[in-house]
Formats: sequence, structure tokens, C-alpha cells
Amino acid sequence: MRTTKFGIAGIALTAALALTACAGGEPDNGTVKLQMVESLTNPARTDVIRGLLDDFEAENPGITVELVSPPTDQADQKIQQMLQSGTGIDVLEVRDITVGPFSTNGWLYDMTDDLQGWSGWDDLTDNAISQTTYAEDGKTYSIPYGFYGLSLFYRTDLVEEAGFDAAPTSWDDLLEQASAIQDPEKNRFGYAFRGGSNANSNVVAIITSYAADKINVDNAFELTGGGTVFSTPEAAAAVKTYFEIFKKASPPSSVAWGYPEMVEGFSNGSTAFLLQDPEVIAAIQQSSSLTEEQWSTAPLLVGASGKAAQPVSSGGWGIAKATKHPEESLKLIKFLSEGDAPITFAKENSLVPILKSAADDEFYKVGAWESYLYMTEHPDVYIPVTQPRTVSWWTEWAQKADTEIQQVLIGKMTEAEMLASWDQYWTEKWATK
Amino acid sequence: MGNEVALRRGDSASPRRRVFSGRHGWTIAAFLAPAAVFVGLFIYYPMISGSQMAFRNWNLNNLTDTSWVGFKNFQAIFENPDFGTILSNSIVWVVASIVPQFLIGFAIALWLRRKFRFRGLYQALIFFPWAISGFLIGILFRWMFNSEFGVINDLLSKVGLIDQPIPWLADPSTAMVAVIVANVWYGVTFFTIMILAALQSVPDEMYEAAALDGSSKPRMLFSITIPTIRTTLALTVLLRVIWIFNFPDIIYAMTGGGPANQTQIFTTWMVTTTQRGDYGQASAIGLLVIGVLFVFAAFYLLAMREKKEVQS
Repeated sequence: MRTTKFGIAGIALTAALALTACAGGEPDNGTVKLQMVESLTNPARTDVIRGLLDDFEAENPGITVELVSPPTDQADQKIQQMLQSGTGIDVLEVRDITVGPFSTNGWLYDMTDDLQGWSGWDDLTDNAISQTTYAEDGKTYSIPYGFYGLSLFYRTDLVEEAGFDAAPTSWDDLLEQASAIQDPEKNRFGYAFRGGSNANSNVVAIITSYAADKINVDNAFELTGGGTVFSTPEAAAAVKTYFEIFKKASPPSSVAWGYPEMVEGFSNGSTAFLLQDPEVIAAIQQSSSLTEEQWSTAPLLVGASGKAAQPVSSGGWGIAKATKHPEESLKLIKFLSEGDAPITFAKENSLVPILKSAADDEFYKVGAWESYLYMTEHPDVYIPVTQPRTVSWWTEWAQKADTEIQQVLIGKMTEAEMLASWDQYWTEKWATK
Repeated sequence: MGNEVALRRGDSASPRRRVFSGRHGWTIAAFLAPAAVFVGLFIYYPMISGSQMAFRNWNLNNLTDTSWVGFKNFQAIFENPDFGTILSNSIVWVVASIVPQFLIGFAIALWLRRKFRFRGLYQALIFFPWAISGFLIGILFRWMFNSEFGVINDLLSKVGLIDQPIPWLADPSTAMVAVIVANVWYGVTFFTIMILAALQSVPDEMYEAAALDGSSKPRMLFSITIPTIRTTLALTVLLRVIWIFNFPDIIYAMTGGGPANQTQIFTTWMVTTTQRGDYGQASAIGLLVIGVLFVFAAFYLLAMREKKEVQS
């Protein structure tokens, strides 16, 4: 008898274990609970989003929003897994590099019809409006929250000490000034070179700037007459200059430098130039090694063409197709994309904002932001271009390009071989698409 | 041998009293069931389910076609021009990490076995690294080995060993050294813990008797200590080989496998492959790792058994 009881108890325990694993967590008091997942997480950013969500909840008493903030490095993978499982995600951060794969797999909610007649359209900048449409199928999967764009961070004091009147405006100027400033004995270097993770972004920036007259602005890797930008003589000239900057004016260890080393190198005062997104402004402002007078920003460097191709990159808020609350999710997306919310988000995260009204905002007219304003006012020189970041093979490309750049840096590959390999890669990808 | 003894004992008792028969057997099964279900559900099911991805075109960036592709993913791995580098890197990573870990771990364990003041505190301090995440250790060492701002170059130049900074993580010839140093620092602790525990089982009387017979310390080490704890040593080495082979954290955080794949090992390769969404190929690399370790473990255990038989 006792053994039977134990047997039953064992089976009951197993069943209990299995059942608890299946239990859900929906509140039953009539409120709708949304789950929102961010991707480019950092603690300050999470606080800003939480603040905006609190405002949203106050305005919409029937809705609560739980914010999930996975560590940046694993966030997109985590989001992918959640989307694949089809549960636990209503609103999410959709990046230009994830919109392609996510929509191909049918994981994103198409907002095109729901946003017909939305009052917020009139307030968005042209750039923002164009980013709401996914080029492959013309649907709206997300509304951008802001833009990243490159500018040159430079040390005003070191440039002056080295005998130059102004910040470099072209890549050749940068080579000259950075070489003059470089002094390894004093642990002082010219350019915060990116050789590690995501090294491809800066190499491509210089290549497309050199070939700015020839490229298709909607696909910066493609020439207007067909073929890839990597096959041009301009590309060869560009990488020659770029790798010269590494040899003559960068820290030798920058072969392995990624984002954190570059920003640290500039903000601790050991390197004079840094090419980065505006989000770095906040990090440098907090530096204890640099005073406000010691640094500033200049527009993105122009190539031999006299022009610069400014890669427009962005992220936005979208809805998971599997959501049970599309209406409430849409409400949240609209809230984050109109009124004060997008301005607050862009300012706190140092992003180029999505609303036209920001052009009149004093905040964006002074200090480090001046160069962005200047670039916006001169679109004929600083041409906004779209890189093919939405293709499903983008991460594969980035890994390949990063590895080959390192191979060139350590002398295992020539510049010409690298460009030929890139040309072949994109030619084949476009042919099989 | 041990099994035979157990069987004979079972035979000598009444056959009706076999523990796995009748209602008694069902009770035992019922008690084991939760654990079995748990292990099956959370370990074997995902493992098998994941393994089948290795034979499919399973790319997270495009799941519209996940058709069966046979051994195509394995073929892609073997045909990858970096395969040879990654294989030799993996071997160097394991061997060059485990030898110093073993020797230093052994030495610290012998030292900690002696009774001295604050021994408990020292033990706690030495075991501490084991509690830190490998990824975090990787990030810490990445900054320590940074050529311009790192503490290691700073110390080396202050004591006059170098006159210009070594770009540790950027130079293909030193990047592997740097990641191995970090791994040795991390793994010594585990050997210390295991060997120290085993040392407690060596009876003091044996040392006393040896001392009376006039044995030297090295003689005692090789004739008493090592033979007595041989099984623990063998198993610890086996476990560590498996773990180090399977351990991408430090390399991933320090170099990401770079520069240009010079520190890429199988498991970091697997991680970078999943990052570009190719779970099919990553899964194939995972199966390859399991295969390699399985073969290694079989040979290692066989060799250990033969050695034991020869000795006995």
C-alpha cells in the first residue's frame, strides 16, 4: 500500500513539474500587459525608455508595459528566439540590420494599413518617413526612433599644437594631421582606428565617399551603372589612404580595437581623432581626462571626390506578428513616435531626431551637434546614402569583411585581394537573390 | 571488476529480493521519473532536436526554407580555408592551457595542504576566480592586455623588460599567448580544488612511515602522493580537457577569434557562426566537437585503464 502511495506521489510530482512549466502570467484584472524588448541596451537608455513607458501607462490606464533589456551583444539573438517561439513579445526594437531577416521569416506585424491617416506623419522628417518603408516589400514594419550618422570627433588642442588651423575636412587631411600628431613615445596617437569588430563600417564609409559620384544612393554598394563599388579605382585609392592612416597614424594594437577601445582611446586623451556616431557625445562629455574646450566634432570626411557618403543607419519600434494585443501595441508605437517622446529619446541617446520640429531646437545647434546641422544643410556634399544593411546576409558579410580587414592589417592579404573578394561576394549575392 | 563483485553479491542473495522487481521496482522508477523526465526534457530533447539542424538548411535569417541538406553543412566546415588553423588553434589552446594549469594547481594544492595561519582565507582567495564568469574574465584581461592603456605592458615597461608596448591582442604571434595566460589564471583554481580534496585522502601515516625510512620529499611525492591520487588526477585532466575545448568565453571576449582567426577555436567559431544566423552550420560544428571529445575520452580512458592494469 505504502509503495502505491509513493508511486502516485512520484507521478503527481512529475505532473506538477510539467504543469508549472506551462503556466502563463497574464494579469486577470482587465488590464492588458505588453512586453517590450529593446536591443541596443545600456543602463542609461533603459532608464529613458522606462520613463517614457511610465508616461504611456499614466496616459493609458488599461495598459501596462514590461520592458525587457537583454545585454546588447546577445539582444538580437534573444529577440530572434522569442519571435521564433511566438510568445512573450509584443513590441520590439527593430534595427535596420534585423528588419530583413525578421520580416522574411514573417515575424513582424505589418502596420501599413493601421497607420493610414495617422496624425504623426506630418511631423516626421523626410528621412524618417523613408525609413518607415521596408524597400523589399514596401510595407511598414517599424517607425524609426532616430538616426545614427558619422562625424569626426577631434582634439582641438592637439590639432592646434601640431600647427593646423582647422579640423581635417578630407581623408587626406586626416592622414596628414594624424601623422603629425602621432608620437608613440608619449603614448599619443593620431587616429582611433577600428580594426576589430565592425571594422568594415569605416572602410566602407571611406570607399563610398571616394566613389560618391558613382554610387547608387539607395544602395551605396552598387554603382549607378551596375557592378559593385569595390571594383572601382576609387575604392583602391580609398583603402590605400585608409590603411596608410593605420600604418602612420594609429596605435599598432588597433588591429583589435572595437567600439569600447576606440571610445576609450579618444576619451582618455591618447588619440586625437575618432570617427563615430553621435551617441559617443554623451560618453566623451563624461570623460574626466578631457575638458569641453579640448574637443569638438567636424563633419564626416570627404573623399577624393570632394564629397562624403553619409551612411544613414537607424533603428525603430515595431510589433511582433504573434502579439495578442496589436491595438495596444500600436498605441504604444504611436506614443513613442509623436509629441515629446521621440525628442526626449533622441536627446538622451544623442541621436539625430525623427521630427521636423527638432531643427528649431537650440539643443541641436550648439557644440558637438553643430557639425550634424552643417551636414544636414549641405546634402550635396554630405550625401545621405543607404547601405544594403537590410539584406539577410548582412551579418555574414560583416564577419567576412572584418576578418579580411584584419588579414590586410597583419599582412596576410593585399588590399587588392580584399577588394576583389568583396566585389565577388556582392556580385554573387546579387546574382542569386 | 567492481560490477562483477556486485553481481555475485546479488546472486548469493535470494533471487526474489532483487531490488528492481515488482512493486518495489515501480516505486523506485516513480521516484526516478521526475529526474529522468527533467533530464530528458531539458537536456536530451534539445540536444537531439538541435542536432538535426546540422543536417538542414537552418538559417535564422531566412527560415522559409529549412530543407534537409544531408552532410552539406559538414562539408562546408571541412572545406573552409580556415579549418586547419582552427583545428591547430584548438589543440594549442587545450594543451598549452592545461599543462600550466595542472602544474600550478598541483603546486598550490600541495602548499595549501600544509597547516598554517589563515589557511582558510588563502583557500577562499585562491578559489575565488572559479566563481567569476568566463566572459567577465575575458573582458578584464582584454583591458589588461591592451597595448596602450593596459596594466600588463605598464608593469613590463616599469620593470624594464620592454622598451615599447607589445600589441598583445593585435599581433598574431602574441594573441594566443594572451588568451592562454587568461585561461591559465582562471583554470588553476579548479585543479587546486580537486587535487586538494584528493590529497586529504592520503593517510598521514604513509608519509610518517616513509619519513622514518629516510625518504626524500620528491620521493614521497612520486611514490606516495601521485600514485594514491592518480585516479582523481586522471579524471580531473579529462574533465578539464573537455571543458577547455568547449570553452569559448575568454577567447570570445578578448579577441573574438582574431586577429584574422589566429585565436579562433571550434567553439568560438560556433558562436560566430550562430551570430550570422547559420544555426545549421553552427550545429554541425557542435556535433563535430562532441565527436572529437567522445573519441578523445574513449582513448584517454582506455589508456588510463591499460596503464592501471600494467601497474597492478
